[in-house]
Amino acid sequence: MTGILAHDSTLSLPAEWLIREDATTVQYRIPDERIKAIAETLLAFESRLVWIFCTEEAKDDSFVLWYVFELAEMRRYLVLVQNTQSPVSLVNIYPAASRFERAITDGFGLQFGGSPDSRRLFLHEAYPDKFHPLRKSVKNAPITVSDSQIPFEFRSMEGTGVYQVPVGPVHAGIIEPGHFRFSVIGEDILNLEIRLGYLHRGIEKLAEGCSPEKGVRIAESVSGDESVANACCYAMAVEQILSVQVPPRAVWLRAYFLELERSWSLLSDLAGMVTDVAFSTAASRLLILRETVQRVCERLTGSRFLKGIIGIGGISHDIPDDLLVEVTDTLMKVRVDLEGILSWVLSVPSVIDRFSTTGVVREPLIDPLALSGPVARASGRALDVRSDHPYGLYETHPIPPLTRMTGDVLGRFALKGDEVLASLAYITELVRQIPKGPVQAEYEVCDGDALAAVESPRGRNLCYVRICDGSIDRFALSTASFCNWMALEHAVLGNIVPDFPVINKSMNLSYAGTDL
Amino acid sequence: MNMNILSFLLKKPKDLQAYTPDSAFESAGVMLKAEIDRVFGHSIAIREVDCGSDNAAEIELANLSAPHYDVERFGITFVASPRHADILAVTGVVTHGMKEALIKTYEATPEPKFVIAVGDDACTGGMYIGTYAVVGPVDAVIPVDLKIPGNPPTPAAILEGLLTLMNVAKKR
Repeated sequence: MTGILAHDSTLSLPAEWLIREDATTVQYRIPDERIKAIAETLLAFESRLVWIFCTEEAKDDSFVLWYVFELAEMRRYLVLVQNTQSPVSLVNIYPAASRFERAITDGFGLQFGGSPDSRRLFLHEAYPDKFHPLRKSVKNAPITVSDSQIPFEFRSMEGTGVYQVPVGPVHAGIIEPGHFRFSVIGEDILNLEIRLGYLHRGIEKLAEGCSPEKGVRIAESVSGDESVANACCYAMAVEQILSVQVPPRAVWLRAYFLELERSWSLLSDLAGMVTDVAFSTAASRLLILRETVQRVCERLTGSRFLKGIIGIGGISHDIPDDLLVEVTDTLMKVRVDLEGILSWVLSVPSVIDRFSTTGVVREPLIDPLALSGPVARASGRALDVRSDHPYGLYETHPIPPLTRMTGDVLGRFALKGDEVLASLAYITELVRQIPKGPVQAEYEVCDGDALAAVESPRGRNLCYVRICDGSIDRFALSTASFCNWMALEHAVLGNIVPDFPVINKSMNLSYAGTDL
Repeated sequence: MNMNILSFLLKKPKDLQAYTPDSAFESAGVMLKAEIDRVFGHSIAIREVDCGSDNAAEIELANLSAPHYDVERFGITFVASPRHADILAVTGVVTHGMKEALIKTYEATPEPKFVIAVGDDACTGGMYIGTYAVVGPVDAVIPVDLKIPGNPPTPAAILEGLLTLMNVAKKR
């Protein structure tokens, strides 16, 4: 196969560059100097650069960069693989590359030529110079904290009447830490720079050397409200390496848990949005539904966050059919209640006044910033891993992506509401057809590598796993939040500072899932 | 009265009601209220600090204020600033990025102050212990008065933890 796109032969890469085709990727090895030219060509094909990650080759200490592209109407990801010591920055072609490159510079010490922003990303001032934790030569052990703490330089905005509002890392609410640096004129936001990395726990390094089973527990600790999504994503990558066929009942139950997680997670977002416009009666009703769904989670799996249920080769224990039927009643009632609450909230003028035209994410930003999930769908793009790159049950039982056109807080509120209704409808329908049988496949650990993608409540989560000598050699992860934070920086521009909380909540991105 | 409004709003299906240990939560709450009255004089103010959690513990702490639990009626409030707080609820293993912020938050909290570590990682460091990115559990950085384990602890477990804290506070 030389043409990447079946329907278009103009975009073709030499056949001798093709190194691998598997269930999720088509991989080409690209000569060092050609990557920029090829990336430019790809841009003409409605492509998104969705991830860059790096691996270190044990045999010769060389570095390999993996550029993961998503092309319209192409089911598999196009991966360009480059062996390099001195990479060039792709920021001018794909702006989303900037933060991926900074993460690689932190982790491996590779400098990207021509990069306009070479500040550290997840390594804060405490980390010493030339400390690159993801290098194989660095042992995962406590470090000596650096004394010469060079302060992080924020983008400076100057002009008459411009002043700065620093917020965080400890916020007023019960939320995760991050720093927001606003540049403001009067009340209008002129610029926002988001600095994260406070929650960097070294998840990727932590996984190295662990058994593939232990990796599931690490993946589900990435972000508490997308634990099933991350655990599934990791498990799917490992299953691809081990050529394990997940039994049908486990495939169905995984989809069940993925949608259950989406439901309670998005219900939190809905409650948060109405809280931030001071509509606490609606927030209370939404929180009641959220708690109801979390109690269903606990009843089915023993964990209110569905932790511990996903395992390699299936799920860790079966759920009795009668229990599934029993909770279906509850979930159907949640659905009916939610319909009522949504139409009530959307008929209140003071809510519409605050939601409408607030925090608009413009559609042309979606491709350059590699946005995904509800943030992209509320701006009119039907991007959804479940339909673009179907996996598991979604291959045979699709769930059509929903969209809204306005891109503002109102659009995201309405879309997330619709998505919860759709997820609940999907699982209550599903439960009638769940096949019987085992939920766990036998497997033997073997070496290899693979990439997997899932649609988490926040969007596209990607995961790369490589197993060497029976244990994890590299575990790399990119959650939807990593790219979607950029949408927040753009969405707040021209809005007033008091609207920031509701704009932030309308996206409700994960700090822990970004910092890893 | 409270229960009437709740049950009206909840319209809880029967099976769920039978399962929910709400009565245990209610009686723990009433006991805690009596203790808070005696030890702190009517109310306690809690400031939450996330130092490396996966957000699950934050969700459960925030849940305490949601309608099913509504702990404000027992005299417990979550406040926006450490300067208004009696208690710091710290979650997650302390990362290098959050160490300084945690110390500053602790210093900004007026005496007498109490610190509770919420969740397994905050209590022991969990699987992160001995790795490059973390300083250690919360008590490696600031003094801790009480540890509430769990991945994450449920709202009921956090409430019971606060009840234990009252005994610690009485002795101080």
